[in-house]
Amino acid sequence: MARLDLHGLSKRYGDFHAVREVTLEIDDGEFLVLLGPSGCGKTTTLRMVAGFIEPSAGNVRLAGQDVTQLPPWKRNAGMVFQSYALFPHLTVAQNVAFGLEMRKLPRADINKRVDEALALVRLGGYGGRLPRQLSGGQQQRVALARALAIRPDVLLLDEPLSNLDAKLRQEVRVEIHELQHQLGLTTVMVTHDQEEALTMADRLVVMNEGSVRQVGTQRDLYERPADRFVAGFVGRSTFLEGAVEAPGRFRTDGGLALACSGSGSGAKSGRGVLALRPERLQVAPAPITGLDNGLPGTVEFVSYLGALIDIHVRLSPADRLVVQIANREGGFAPEVGQSVHVSWPASAGLVFTE
Amino acid sequence: MTDTALAHGPVVERRRGESLTATALLAPATIFVALCLLAPLVILFRYSLNEFVPTKKMMVEAVTVANYVKFFTDPYYTAILATTVRIAVMVTLACLILGFPLAYVMARTQSRFKNLLIILTVLPLFVGNAVRAAGWMTIFGSKGFFNTTLQWLGLIDKPLEIMFTEKAVIIGIIAVNLPFMVLTLQSVIESIDRAVEEAAFSLGAPPATMFRRVLWPLALPGILAGTILTFILAMNAYATPFLLGGPLFKMMAPLVYNQFTQQTNWPFGGAIAFILMTVTLGLTLAANLLIQRRRAS
Repeated sequence: MARLDLHGLSKRYGDFHAVREVTLEIDDGEFLVLLGPSGCGKTTTLRMVAGFIEPSAGNVRLAGQDVTQLPPWKRNAGMVFQSYALFPHLTVAQNVAFGLEMRKLPRADINKRVDEALALVRLGGYGGRLPRQLSGGQQQRVALARALAIRPDVLLLDEPLSNLDAKLRQEVRVEIHELQHQLGLTTVMVTHDQEEALTMADRLVVMNEGSVRQVGTQRDLYERPADRFVAGFVGRSTFLEGAVEAPGRFRTDGGLALACSGSGSGAKSGRGVLALRPERLQVAPAPITGLDNGLPGTVEFVSYLGALIDIHVRLSPADRLVVQIANREGGFAPEVGQSVHVSWPASAGLVFTE
Repeated sequence: MTDTALAHGPVVERRRGESLTATALLAPATIFVALCLLAPLVILFRYSLNEFVPTKKMMVEAVTVANYVKFFTDPYYTAILATTVRIAVMVTLACLILGFPLAYVMARTQSRFKNLLIILTVLPLFVGNAVRAAGWMTIFGSKGFFNTTLQWLGLIDKPLEIMFTEKAVIIGIIAVNLPFMVLTLQSVIESIDRAVEEAAFSLGAPPATMFRRVLWPLALPGILAGTILTFILAMNAYATPFLLGGPLFKMMAPLVYNQFTQQTNWPFGGAIAFILMTVTLGLTLAANLLIQRRRAS
């Protein structure tokens, strides 16, 4: 196990910047998740760490050694691929042994470590099978065992769960996380699934258009998103367009004057957006006293999600927001066309000026 | 009995429907193969057992293996067979060695010119073998483009002897067969997940090891298909050895043709044709078994 440092890592394809100036320090034993929409450069970053893509600029240091110029087979990085990439012509045990054979270990050691690795992923006894005789979840675990068997300095996971069905995904998520903590593995995972990222990561990196937008814990990203993109990508937000009138005062294009005290609300003036988390808002038949903002509106759309209900409320011709309420027995359940009041504390309003 | 038959009625009916459809689908090809391939083969085999009377230049009904004996006892003919096998093996190996890297690049390229590459590979097949060989005659002849250019550049004193040599034939058949090898390999390599190669790299395998342990075994079905295809084509090459090899150079297919048309010796021609077919099949099967056994061990 070791620490991993990326410094000014960039990749250009002609005029296209796939990755711009990514600088990250990943601590020994840390689980870092690169999160972003497809095409944001997260996979390119991971592949530069693995050595499959040569960076246009910057460097990668693994365990204190500059590996930027090293080919993948000279880096001690274990990788789990989205498609698992098991060797279809080799048995499970041969797959896991592959990396150990490359390291020219004695046969007895190889067998011992293959057994250990397979036991670790609860596949002891499956060594003689071929990959195609296993289920998707089992193949995924073989891929993990194969990457772990070489005792890598860093474990790289490229959307490892995206080919599993939803139920299995939740299980494997917990398994990988526990295994990673138990082994103290420095791990970098790439995903576009924010739930996956939030449950597994020690720290998250949100990327968009090749750049790092924000690095932080789940709470950092959620409570203090660095920009409008992060506010919309991690969790959900309703954005109201408008301008800052004074610190703590925001006027929407629809003419609503709103009090805000969340991050960014110290701005003195200028155009921007007010971001509101749907679950921080309350909806009721009458104004709720004690909250800084209370506005009348009309329900335009109701989306029933089971445990939760989304209610889309129009506050003015230009302003519509989403309120999320818990689906409780006897709770207030407004219908389309009904007049309601939406209320929220000033602290729920985050401001991003342009 | 009646009850069970009734109970299973619908099942039986559906099965009959399926088999009817299957028959309808298989019939045209089966009839075609039977009429146009099997029947001539049977007739040819029967001819090969007949006798030939050289004085009258005609075939006499008989059942004898004399034609086969004649072929295998005359060093002239066995030498032709040996040459044919040798050339086919060399051509096939050359196609594999030249074709694999090309097929690999074509299978893995992300370039938007990929389709153009494939078309360029297939393009030579649009020109018939005979036409192409005739073209080469003008290029590689002693007063051809190639030699005159080299002489003009002062690189050689007298023309290189390329035409009407074994070299010319080998180069010619390689050029004809290469597209078949490349296309076969390309489609197989394309079906191999690229991540599998990367997995091998990340586990510590340098490219040569990755090739030997991962790419080669996974591409083996395609390698077998490609080598079989090019080997059979090379064994049976006719126009290329005929035009580029010249009158003194002999391979099996031109020999068969010669027996039928020049000598009008149908029984011997038939026998040679059968020997060619058997040797081709036999060697192909032997190579297959050998590779599969090695793969299993």
